[in-house]
Amino acid sequence: MIDIKKEIQKDRRAFIKNVLSGTIAGSLLMVIPAGAALDERLPEQLPGMRGDDSPFTEKKFAFVVDVTACIGCGSCCVADKNEYNVPDGNYRTWVERYIIDDHDEVFVDSPNGGLDGYSKPRTDIPNPVRDTFFVPKLCNMCEKPSCVQVCPVGATYKTEDGFILVDKDRCVGCGYCIQACPYSVRFLNPVNRTAEKCTWCYHRVREGLLPACVNVCPVHARKFGDLNDKTSEVYKILREPHVISVLKPGMGNQPALHYLGLRREVV
Amino acid sequence: MSVAAHGDAAVAAANFIFPNDLHVHWSLMIVLYPYITGLVAGAFIVSSLYHVFHIKALKPVARFSLLFALAFLICATWPLLNHLGRPERALSMMLTPNPTSAMAGFGYIYSAYFIVLLLEIIFIFRPTVVALRKKATGFMKILYGVLSIGSDNVSPKALKLDHKIIAFLAAIGIPMACVLHGYVGFIFGGIKANPLWATPLMPLIFLLSACVSGIAGIIVTYILIMKFSGKEIDVECVQTLIKFLWGFFILDFVFEMLELFSHFYMATHHWHTLEALYSGPLFNTFWVAQVGIFSVIPFFLLMFMSLIRFKDSILLFFAPIVSFMILMQVLLMRWNVVVGGQLMSKSERGATTFHPMWFEKEGIFVAIVIMVAPVVILWIIGKILPFWMDDEGVEAA
Amino acid sequence: MEKKYKSSYYGHVVKIALVLIIGGVLAVMARDKFLPETMGQYGHYRGSDLKDQRQVAVRSHTNESCYQCHRPIRLIHKAGVHKTVSCEFCHGPFADHVKDGKYVAKLPVKRDMEIKTLCLRCHNKIIRARPEESIKVVAMPQHLEEKKVNIDHNCNQCHMVHDPILWIKAAREMMGLKMKGETK
Repeated sequence: MIDIKKEIQKDRRAFIKNVLSGTIAGSLLMVIPAGAALDERLPEQLPGMRGDDSPFTEKKFAFVVDVTACIGCGSCCVADKNEYNVPDGNYRTWVERYIIDDHDEVFVDSPNGGLDGYSKPRTDIPNPVRDTFFVPKLCNMCEKPSCVQVCPVGATYKTEDGFILVDKDRCVGCGYCIQACPYSVRFLNPVNRTAEKCTWCYHRVREGLLPACVNVCPVHARKFGDLNDKTSEVYKILREPHVISVLKPGMGNQPALHYLGLRREVV
Repeated sequence: MSVAAHGDAAVAAANFIFPNDLHVHWSLMIVLYPYITGLVAGAFIVSSLYHVFHIKALKPVARFSLLFALAFLICATWPLLNHLGRPERALSMMLTPNPTSAMAGFGYIYSAYFIVLLLEIIFIFRPTVVALRKKATGFMKILYGVLSIGSDNVSPKALKLDHKIIAFLAAIGIPMACVLHGYVGFIFGGIKANPLWATPLMPLIFLLSACVSGIAGIIVTYILIMKFSGKEIDVECVQTLIKFLWGFFILDFVFEMLELFSHFYMATHHWHTLEALYSGPLFNTFWVAQVGIFSVIPFFLLMFMSLIRFKDSILLFFAPIVSFMILMQVLLMRWNVVVGGQLMSKSERGATTFHPMWFEKEGIFVAIVIMVAPVVILWIIGKILPFWMDDEGVEAA
Repeated sequence: MEKKYKSSYYGHVVKIALVLIIGGVLAVMARDKFLPETMGQYGHYRGSDLKDQRQVAVRSHTNESCYQCHRPIRLIHKAGVHKTVSCEFCHGPFADHVKDGKYVAKLPVKRDMEIKTLCLRCHNKIIRARPEESIKVVAMPQHLEEKKVNIDHNCNQCHMVHDPILWIKAAREMMGLKMKGETK
């Protein structure tokens, strides 16, 4: 440890160059024996999930998005695209930017779904800007999903533990669910030609990992946890008196995705 | 200075669509499917007007309408199979239909209706087929043998039994035709997420425009076929068809306009998106084409043709023209509903665009092929079964 | 005049009825054959899909996975202000690097202006939506001008990417200056 500090003080540029080019890291790299289970490298982020082979979990998962924290970096979009190899032009999750000028005009955009971040300001705003905020969007995992209602073959369904999933092997690609979703979170994967959407990383959650987007958010704008756990952050947010909102409550879908600090301009 | 209304917050200062709303998923194929089943249902209604409601004037086209319906029904699944991302799994709709999905009804409704239509044709044409079988040779003889179910009995007893069955089939055929097209209307009408589609009037509008398209289709094909084969056109029949066309069209047009007017009048939450749609991307295809040219003009033409007794030549001149315009109106209506409905983004702040391409999977070329195919099939059917009563040598039931 | 017919007056009706009934029975039998086994097990869906969904590959891991091997980086990154930044955000998903416990490929490392673009995704002041409490934002090139640095410098010439304040802190210690908010 002390050696490294000396290294840094000695020649920080050379050191950083070495680390960045991977030589030091490379020489320290151990080859992990083949067949190592997920466990060795990945500690559980959601306790009690790994090793649970029952079809449905007893836990009551909740997903909360804190709009006041989001910085629009797009890490979540990058992680999601990496996790599922989402084809370009389709989005399982995305981040929207809202700009309000001093004439109360609202400008909304989401260039490439926020995948490249928001480094460029908008150039078409006629008046001075008074406020800006970012809103992450993903599947709302509705209690009364309109997508499940309309699927003609039962390829999309709701599990007993509340996850809405798509059976890739049964979907016929009719596109009805995409028409029915009020939140436009579904799309037709052009490679598989079947419907696809955010699953709150069901395959990660069942292995005790946080959803990819929750895991990478550097400012903890996305939160995920078990409502049955009274010490969890989501419990504190949803069960204590905060102002909590959902998108399009009038639709009747009863979304399970909750927002903290949602602004009235958001649809 | 006005009070700062809450609704101002949701109005779009510039176009914004949700990232997944860029593509229009239901395009030409989904426009064609209700169009085709509409023609089927409408043609069947024409036939039933004679067989069930005994409108004698429609006797000349009663049989032809059934064959017309059959030709189009055969092609009804083609646009759907072409549209599916995984057509090889299409049978899942019949194996595991989801009872809450209107679309799941397709397999069974279509099959049941196909059986009813086919049976009705078999029973109505049976005496004709028996006679044709006697005169035929080779393959045609075998074919007629199958079509007459191997029976040669045309005694009064047999014909009486047939007649009862035909009456029954024609009777249940009417509600079945209504379901065949009505459920399509509900596929759209039940989607609350789409403000253009979500209305209880949708099945009714679809059904009425189906009847309208079917009647118009019969008029056009009847007159054209008779003209090209040099046969005499039954003017009374055409006159009656025109009157029914006008009647159904009044209802259809009224409901279409009522739907829009209700939204406008009540101006609920989603009206601003609909308004932007109808005054923007849909202005030309809806107000100019569907309503202006192809609804208002035919409305008046049909009115004059129904209320005033014109010279036969004038009637027979305008009838196919106005019917063709109605066929265009119904096609435009399907386009405006299906494609128009998807142009609005669910962001409620903008619209996307859609331009059909010629040679894509669900493109214009394929659409033309699918619309020409039923005409070809009808021609083939015409070689097997006679369209018109006087082609037979035998008295029918 | 009585005509003699080969068939009965009802024969064709019976035949049609038989075809319909037999067809219906065959269809029901075929359905049972073609239906997926676990269909309807828990609801109107294929029950075995729950297992299929669990078997989707986990491609991104967490920083802990990277730390298992990359020890020096771990010391720096985990203790610094960038500890909440995901390694995989800059370098790509774990699954592209290690498969079945074995190294398969090098992960990309950002270079030159790629680094600046990446930094500005979070730290750009122009996008006025970054709450001051959660993240420090700067405007370019004002930040460089303020710090009396050549304006074509890259961020990582002063800020080590894995802990951007590390060198700044070290430099200030050397100069005897304090960090903003520090009292010691």
